[in-house]
Order: sequence, then structure tokens, then C-alpha cells
Amino acid sequence: MGFQSVFTPLERSAVHEDAASRQAQGWRYVQMLAVNNEDDVDVVYSYMKYGALDNVVISALPKDAHLPSITDLYLEAFVCENEIHDLFGITFDGLAIDFLGNFYRVSTEFPMTITSPEKLAMMEKQRKLEEKKAQAEAAKAQKAKEAAKGKAAESPADISGATADGQLIDAEMEAKLAAMPPEKAAKVRAAMEAKARAAKKAAEGEDA
Amino acid sequence: MGKATVIPFGPQHPVLPEPLHLDLVVQDETVIDCLPQIGFVHRGLEKLVETRDYDQFIYVAERICGICAMGHSLGYAETVEDLMGVEVPKRGEYLRVIWHELSRIHSHLLWLGLAADAFGFESLFMHCWRLRERILDIFEKTTGGRVILSVVCVGGVRRDIEDTELAAICQTLEGIKAEYQQIMDTLLTDISVKDRTVGVGVLTHDQAVALSMVGPFARASNVPYDVRTFGRGAYGDLTDFAPITSDEGDCYARVKVRCQEVLQSIGIIEELAAKIPAGDISVKVKGNPEPGARAANVLEQPRGECYYYAQGNGTKFLERMRMRTPTSQNLAGMVEALKGCDLADVNMIILTIDPCISCTER
Repeated sequence: MGFQSVFTPLERSAVHEDAASRQAQGWRYVQMLAVNNEDDVDVVYSYMKYGALDNVVISALPKDAHLPSITDLYLEAFVCENEIHDLFGITFDGLAIDFLGNFYRVSTEFPMTITSPEKLAMMEKQRKLEEKKAQAEAAKAQKAKEAAKGKAAESPADISGATADGQLIDAEMEAKLAAMPPEKAAKVRAAMEAKARAAKKAAEGEDA
Repeated sequence: MGKATVIPFGPQHPVLPEPLHLDLVVQDETVIDCLPQIGFVHRGLEKLVETRDYDQFIYVAERICGICAMGHSLGYAETVEDLMGVEVPKRGEYLRVIWHELSRIHSHLLWLGLAADAFGFESLFMHCWRLRERILDIFEKTTGGRVILSVVCVGGVRRDIEDTELAAICQTLEGIKAEYQQIMDTLLTDISVKDRTVGVGVLTHDQAVALSMVGPFARASNVPYDVRTFGRGAYGDLTDFAPITSDEGDCYARVKVRCQEVLQSIGIIEELAAKIPAGDISVKVKGNPEPGARAANVLEQPRGECYYYAQGNGTKFLERMRMRTPTSQNLAGMVEALKGCDLADVNMIILTIDPCISCTER
């Protein structure tokens, strides 16, 4: 027996009718789940028959939507319906065993509908990491150029080429800074200047 | 007939390793109705998917429950692989199934021990757990962990098992088999075990089908449903696999099915160890799941069918990850089995569904 999983869209109004017809045809109830979108919620009902897993998707339900309960047909759905109610705020009318929002002891109402500060912080952290990585790569490239420039300085004939490269890097950096938001560009400029000052100081120290 | 009384059962009870509360409506020592309540250990682990990479989340998935750790990491990895169209090398699939079946043996031995403890057979409990230790030793030797194995990754497995090591595992299992046979004989023939289990908490085939029950709980009511028959991964290469069923539908049948499944799992491991192909154990997975891509998958955990769902959003974080555990599906069956039972049998009936509340609440 093989296994196949498919997703089928369904109108909100046909939820109970669909469950009733599936029960009559011998489909087994598997589970229900909800997915939080920015402005709405999707609910997925899963049924199985002979290895065919049919996931019925009810899209774009309002966050305070009411759906008919299917516990009159499949009693075992009471766990998922109570869970979706407590975590997502969807109400199931006619629930056979209704815990009235007390199934899970959650400190926040409908926690799965909130974009958590942790997620936002993580996204920001991710963005910064990528930025840092890009900067590190740029710095590495710059260092390589400088090393090449140092070598070129030993042979005076190459000086003009190295200067041209330096100017090119400055131009690239300026283009990157122009593409950044002004606040961020100011920060990067300040960091670069501080770095340049530190490098200059170190070079002076070495000379002394 | 006496007056109906409500007796609270749990969440703290000697027979319950995890918190489950039941309001038992009792009349003359007979349970006439029951209302289950969970929610004591909800940790919001599904929400963590918003802040963990899809490959990092595998560590969260396997920490949902200690006993089902291997299964959860495998089910999650398979679902993400479906989402991203990743094909796992054959050797990786074989190794996954070998560890998963070892995990089933350790889970069933743990459960058989707990069941023996519940009906007051202390020495049998210790013998079951003594054998289970040897399975945990195999885990420790092959993965470094005894409970949380962290061996599955998206794209395959992290560690290989040498062929000599596989032969040693088979030898250990052969040794276990002989000792296990004695334990099984006691569990299935001892009069004191039968007194507590035969004819207790009967669920008919029709009730089991109507309540969409899963796992050994359903198979003990003669529902031949086992996700392994779908033949995903190395299960597809087994020459002969048929679910173990029993038609009594009582606590004894549930003990019997699990007892026999231990031997079945040993057989599966031995067959796969003999057939395992050489080659890579994993593939490198690049990129992120497509925005809006969805995948749903099922896996036969020791307690029954577990459903996994994953949805991508174009980043390395998944938009949604969901698992519906076998206990969640079997709660309605448990309520039905409790109706009409003697109050003294409630603990046996609850135990024979092998409830895993940590998984159910996540």
C-alpha cells in the first residue's frame, strides 16, 4: 500500500457537509490544524483512506471566525478543536466536549496568532549577521587589495594602478552607503572612520 | 443504584508518569462517564519554529518527548525533506529505520515494565527495564546519547554504524530475544496478569474504527492499520511486513500486541542489518523551503500514527510546524473504554493506551 498526501481547497461553508460525506465513505479522521497568516487564519482538516492522506484547506478565515464542529461525526476531533480555539481563537460551534477556552493553561490569549518579539528579534539578528558577514567579506577583500598595494609600492611603476584600485573600492563603498537607510549609513561611516583612525594610530606607533 | 459521584483522577497519580486529569463519574464503583483534561505541560514548542532554522528545529522536535525522541526527529526530517524535495541516500534511510525500531523496542519495554508495575508485579517491571537498558546501551554506543539521540538530520543521518557494529547489535538483540521470551511468557500466561487484564476495558473493532484510533490500541481491536505498511524509506524493502493485530480489544490484547511488536521490531532490524547497502548516509541540503509550500506526512511511532505538517515561507524559518500525536487521537477511545469499567481498573485502562502527554501538549 502506498502513501500519498494531497492538499485540497474547500469553501468555509462546506466544512461539515464534507466531513459528513467523508465519514459515510469510510474516511478516517486524522487531525486538524490552524496556520496563522498576517491578517487571517487557515484551517486544515486531514482525512485518510487506504494510504491517501487528504488535507482539506479552508483559507483566509477571519481571526475570530466561527466554524461548525465536526465532533458530532468524529468525536476524537474534540482535542484539536479545543486546541485551535485556545491557541488561535477560532470558535467551533456545537463542540461535543467544550472546555470553553480552558483546555490549555496559556498565559496569553491566542498565543499562536501573535508574531512573537522573539521572532522579530531573531529576524533582526539574522539580518545583522548577514550584514556582518558581508562586511567581513568586504574587509577581507580590502585587506587583500591593500596587501597587493603594499607589494606594488615596492615597485614604483605599479603605484598608479594601486591608487586606481583604492579609488574603485571607495566608489563601491560610497554606492553601498547610498543604498542604505541614512541612519545606518551614518553608523557605518562612523565605524569606518573609527577603524581608519585606529589603523592610522597603530601605523604611527609602529613607526615610532 | 447509588448516587452518581465525581471522583478526580490525577494529574498526580502513582500510575501516571505524566499529568493527565480525569473527572470520573462513578456509580456503585462503576465508571459511567469520564471527562479527560490535559494542559498542564503545554510548552508552546510549535511556536519555536518561528525562531529556529528548519535544521535547528530538529533538536526541538526530538525534545518534545523523551520516549518518542527518535520518532519525532525522523518524522520532522521526513516532512521537511518532502517540503524541499530532498532524497535521502539508501544507507541513511536504513540507519534511520534501525534506530527507529530500536526506539520502538525501548518504548515498548518501558511500557511493559510500567504496566507490570501498575498491576503490582514489581519484579517483572524490573526485568523489563533491565532489558531496556541493553537497548539504551546500543544507543549510547552508536550515537553517544541514551534517550536524545540527535542522530537524524534533514537530508539523512549524522553518524554511520559500521557493519561489524551492526553485527554486534544483531548479536545483542538475539541475546535479548531469549530473555525477552521468558518475560513475554510471564506477561501472557501468568494468572495474576490475566486477572487484571482479560476482559477489562473492551473496545470493539467498530468502536475503534469509528473513533479513528491508532497504534497498538487500535490493532488490539483488530484494526490492521500501521503506517509502516505504506513502505516509506527502508520499510519498503522489507520482504514481509504485516501489522500485528488481536481481536479481543481488551487490556490483555493491548499487552499482547505490544509484546509481539518487540519481536517484530527485532526481526526488522536483523533483516535491514543484513541488507543495508553501502554508500553515503546523508546529502547536503541547500536553500530554503519555498514560500507557501506545504507538506504533510505520517509516521508510525511506538504509540501509533503521528502526523507532521510543515509550511515554508521562503526563509530558513518555517512558517508553521505541527504534529498531531497518537495519544491525542486515542483520548476519545480511552474515554469510551473507561465507560462501564470498575473503578479499580481505571489505571490499567489508562495505561494500556500508553498515554504520552508531553507529546500531546507539546
